[in-house]
Amino acid sequence: MQSKRLGWILLAPTLVILFFFGVLPFIYVVYVSFHSWNPFAVNPDMVFNGADNFRKIVFDSAFLNSVGVTVMFVFFAVLSELIIGYFLAQAFMRDFPGKAIFRTIHTLPLIMAPIIVGSVWKLMTTPSIGIIPHYLDEWFGISMNIGTSAPAAFATIVIMDIWHWTPLVTLTLIAALVSLPQDPFEQAQIDGAGKRQIFWHITLPMIAPAVVATVFIRLMDALRTVDEVWMLTGGGPGSATRFVGVHIFKEVFPKTNYGYGSTISVIVLYLTIVSCWLLYVTMLAPRNKKD
Amino acid sequence: MSFAIKLGASALALTVAATASFAESHAEFWKNAAAPYQGVTIRGVTESSPPSLYIREVLAPEFEALTGIRVDVETTSWDQMFDKAIKDMEAGTGIYDMAYIEQDIIYSYLARGFLTDLTGYLADHPALKAPSYDEANFTTFADYFKDADGNLYGVPMEAFLKVYLYRTDLFGDPDIQSAFKAQTGRDLVPAKTHAEYAEIAQFFTEYGKANDMDLWGTTAQAHTGHVASWYEYYESVAPTFGVYNWGIDPDNNYAASTANGGAMNGPEAVEAMTWWLSMRDIAPPESPASTWTEVGTTFGAGRAAQGLVYGENAGWIAADAEKSLVVGKVGVALPPLADGVLAEAESGDGYIGYYDGGAFGMPHSSNNKEATALFLQYIGQNEVQPDWAVAAPRVTNTATYDDPKVVAFNDELGGYYDLIKDKGYLFAGAPAYPFHAQVREATAPIFYQILLGDLAPQEGLDQMAAAAEATLSELWYRK
Repeated sequence: MQSKRLGWILLAPTLVILFFFGVLPFIYVVYVSFHSWNPFAVNPDMVFNGADNFRKIVFDSAFLNSVGVTVMFVFFAVLSELIIGYFLAQAFMRDFPGKAIFRTIHTLPLIMAPIIVGSVWKLMTTPSIGIIPHYLDEWFGISMNIGTSAPAAFATIVIMDIWHWTPLVTLTLIAALVSLPQDPFEQAQIDGAGKRQIFWHITLPMIAPAVVATVFIRLMDALRTVDEVWMLTGGGPGSATRFVGVHIFKEVFPKTNYGYGSTISVIVLYLTIVSCWLLYVTMLAPRNKKD
Repeated sequence: MSFAIKLGASALALTVAATASFAESHAEFWKNAAAPYQGVTIRGVTESSPPSLYIREVLAPEFEALTGIRVDVETTSWDQMFDKAIKDMEAGTGIYDMAYIEQDIIYSYLARGFLTDLTGYLADHPALKAPSYDEANFTTFADYFKDADGNLYGVPMEAFLKVYLYRTDLFGDPDIQSAFKAQTGRDLVPAKTHAEYAEIAQFFTEYGKANDMDLWGTTAQAHTGHVASWYEYYESVAPTFGVYNWGIDPDNNYAASTANGGAMNGPEAVEAMTWWLSMRDIAPPESPASTWTEVGTTFGAGRAAQGLVYGENAGWIAADAEKSLVVGKVGVALPPLADGVLAEAESGDGYIGYYDGGAFGMPHSSNNKEATALFLQYIGQNEVQPDWAVAAPRVTNTATYDDPKVVAFNDELGGYYDLIKDKGYLFAGAPAYPFHAQVREATAPIFYQILLGDLAPQEGLDQMAAAAEATLSELWYRK
């Protein structure tokens, strides 16, 4: 009984902080989402408008477009990071000359702030001065202009994200691979299993929790990507890279549409939770049940 | 020694003594007035622009040395500056004692009652009123920061025109002149009409290509995801075709569409958009990713023969050899205009371009109003203006134009200060809309679609006018 009370006492500071800085603001955002509120309107006060904002969001093509673009971005970026990260992790499990140096260089992007990553990539991709369009043109005759080509801008952002975050996936998977017991692999080899069979039936199931955890982290991160995109394209050209985070920012800050912006935030949070839950039930829950 | 020489020497000595004593009495004022606020730190937030950097690097340390009041000036990006200032003033947290007020946002701030009336504040606190500070010293640009009663809400700290810059070396080159004459049948001089401008732009883009030069005929601030492009069109291009105040008529229930009496999608707006897009197409390839900063860089790198460039960049482009490749090769002129626009501007019914700038205001939420009022007066004095005008081309006080340093610098700038002084009245700041950012953000996504060619100019402008009216209705401005 005493240890239970002590537990609560020790937890109390965290719970209080969580309540004030996590739960309370969330409740406030939900409250605001049921209001029309723009401080620069003729009436700058909050006006309760029921579910109007939620009704509006269903037909808001700009919002729906931003969700679509974000989902595409998450799919391409996270999947690529996972595949490349896995192969890099496998490579780092082996010894090769210069491994330590390569691993250090490979990890460097992780320590860079997203806004800096966006700036660096902007410098590298700006037509006329950027190294990437320059060499694409010189070597392959490809004209790249992220200011006019929506596919080029989108692909650049996906590649930038892969460059920035693949090291995180690699490190997580290295940790998972290192901790795997050797017995099942040796037994499988004795039984004559091929590399592909070992991967599908032993490696992947055993590192699945680490893979899911990594996907969770990257999924949530990718869904709220703002800084790099803001710096690189500003959401353009047009709305080709106007991810949902950028859309919320533009709605809430320059447009000061606090009510509707809150509604979008609540819906996006809901979609994020649902996505993570779907991922969990499809990838981990069956395995837990089997165990 | 003759009597005349004696008289002259005496007059000079008297003048020097009087000036020294005047300066000394000023220094005494700052020390005495600031005495109760020694050790206080005041904080300001502003855009990272040359005039603001001068405040941070020069005026703030000078003021601190003089008064003992520390001034921290945070210079950040344009959008972050607004974001931080508005959040602070909205919540009344008092983090910032000074906030940069861009001319186009003042009406929103006044509507929300964010700012302290500086005229009233100094009248209520005569002990803080500096003898060397006088609102009458400011140019008429200060009027943008006054309310209907003439009370000032911000001390002007930058003011400049978005001007037509052209390369004097290219325009004056005899070979180029004859090639241009042979091709077009007219002399190569800065354009007065849009057709002339387009002809020059086309000529130089072809000339650059033919001679394997990194040279194009015009700049274009045509970013496809940043509001800089929206501003270039509405501030600098549309007015030259006779579309003023974004095509919204505040006297007619804020109508934007022609159907309701506005001009946002009228024939002049379509013509302006079509012309501008055609210029964008022959501008340097970085133009679709260019904001105001990159346009300055493009011109400074010698990549454009002419262009519309913000005056804040004109200084370093024309005079800073460390940054610019076209030092001493830059001329300024009025932008090309459609028929009748100049007459409308001269009669006060229209304008020909953007008179940009900003002021430092004191939020109501400031916790250090007394110390802040002193600093704001300090940066508003005539005495500190000339060096500031040379370091970062901006003029906010009338007397600055006649200072010898500024007169000399004006020559380096190709007569830029003369243009502000003599023709500044033809330009105008942003319209007095409290809903500035809201309408801009509502229409900008459609604007980008026009830039990308997803929408034809007429179709896009129709949609923009409808979006503007819908937003104005949502905000209850449009009944």
